[in-house]
Amino acid sequence: MAQSRNTLSFGAVNASIPAAAGIGLRSPHYRDALHSPAKPAWLEVHSENYFAAGGPALRMLESLRRDYPLSLHGVGMSLGSVVAPDGRHLRQLQQLIERVEPALVSEHLSWSAFGGRYLNDLAPIAYTESALAAWVRRVAQVQDFLGRPILLENPSSYLQFDYADYSEAEFLSQLARRSGCGLLLDVNNLYVSCRNHGWDTLDYLLALDAGCVAEFHLAGHRRNRIGADVILIDSHDGPVAEPVWQLFRMVLQLFGNRPTLIEWDADLPDWHTLIGQAARADRYMEQNYVQAA
Amino acid sequence: MSRLHDLQRDFAGFVFGDSSRVPAGIVANGIAPERRMAVYRNNTQTGLSQALRDTYPVINRLVGAGFFDRLARAYIGKYPPAAACLLEFGADFAELIAGFAAAASLPYLADVARLEWLYHRAYHAAESPVPALTTLRDFNQVDCGELTAKLHPSVGLLESDYPLLPIWLSNQADYLGDPHVNLDAGGCRLLVFRPQWDVEIRPLALAEYHCLAALAGGTGLTAAVGAALACDPDFAVESWLLAGLCSGLLADIVLL
Repeated sequence: MAQSRNTLSFGAVNASIPAAAGIGLRSPHYRDALHSPAKPAWLEVHSENYFAAGGPALRMLESLRRDYPLSLHGVGMSLGSVVAPDGRHLRQLQQLIERVEPALVSEHLSWSAFGGRYLNDLAPIAYTESALAAWVRRVAQVQDFLGRPILLENPSSYLQFDYADYSEAEFLSQLARRSGCGLLLDVNNLYVSCRNHGWDTLDYLLALDAGCVAEFHLAGHRRNRIGADVILIDSHDGPVAEPVWQLFRMVLQLFGNRPTLIEWDADLPDWHTLIGQAARADRYMEQNYVQAA
Repeated sequence: MSRLHDLQRDFAGFVFGDSSRVPAGIVANGIAPERRMAVYRNNTQTGLSQALRDTYPVINRLVGAGFFDRLARAYIGKYPPAAACLLEFGADFAELIAGFAAAASLPYLADVARLEWLYHRAYHAAESPVPALTTLRDFNQVDCGELTAKLHPSVGLLESDYPLLPIWLSNQADYLGDPHVNLDAGGCRLLVFRPQWDVEIRPLALAEYHCLAALAGGTGLTAAVGAALACDPDFAVESWLLAGLCSGLLADIVLL
């Protein structure tokens, strides 16, 4: 059952988003996205920013939807919480999906709410057997509610737990196979978490189920010094770092081309800088396509 | 309780600053668990502070980024987000400011925050279709006492002892006029309303304010108009209703 669902899903769902570079759209770039001749292949927005009852932002998104394939990326469903995701949140997401008909809907492998308080951040999961069982149930429930598969993204993390039964990549692959969800591989998060925990990036990639990976993310990070040590922070406030570009090329060789998003959320640059980052991602995908041919 | 429950309780407690206990089982790997948890605490605090700053740009300009951060920290501790959607976060900022001792020298600040929240709400409020007026069409003989006017979903009303509109206008990023505001210029009554794309802030005369406030409180049309006429016997009821229906401020006339 899980297998048939898995094979049915991503070809069809991905049909309207090409394996090319898209841009994470933030409100200061609405006009550029509508009127600039330089256009990315697709757009992604944070779902929760459009949970309002109405207003100009929602109407702008509806206009942009006429020009671009769209992906809805959630940051607050908190699938890893002790309690099930908030029903109102799911209904708001469902309404937004009906309104803008996205080609992809994604969330994170994380939790963000406890006791009615929301952290506004992606908190880490202990990758245990019982967590995996709970995640498989939760993801299936959400997919049944929404009537479509979702993608789950690997988070950046700054700590890990000593009682884990799985590596993050094994956990994600098991979850995808058993729930029928897809995977969103954030290459920057992969780099950040591997550096922070001393994981091997190639081991991580080889443990991922390539057939489940349906989207890539690229973003900038920051280096924070803690005493003599360095911790990398997933800050989304700058260009994609050189080692992350190199890792992206390796990812393309292993998995092939996928819809690839440039994410930049703070200290926003102008539209052309974002277009430049997207063009670089497209260039690598083109080279990879030529090499593979 | 389960290990997951305890982990998330301790994690959230640390991040919101009500406990310094770190969750059990964090791998140190060269960096103490407290330092690792501090990264998450910083993410939450700076992310939520920025969300508040985005909703309250005038407060941020009036008090400066440093003082705003203090207000934000206090706010996050007392009124943490109750939903993942941050469009709903910050509703009680005016209450926090009103009780914040270090802000007592700026007595108008809480009212400015109320105005910014009404603006934020109006921006994200539902659209309203052109008034259907089916009640008036379908009933030949309607007793006016049974009617009321539905206000546009974006409408907010505010009464203050301070000149909020000049304070708000002179702290807009594109404002080029005189930056000085005479705080003794007197109070105001304001309507916040988004007819189409743009949110408008309009000063109201006493009569219109009372009429709208009565309607917002669920009063019938006759009583609301009566309240206006009590303030101003020359209040032009008919033309006010017509203008309200044309602009969309009055979204419909319906039975009470």
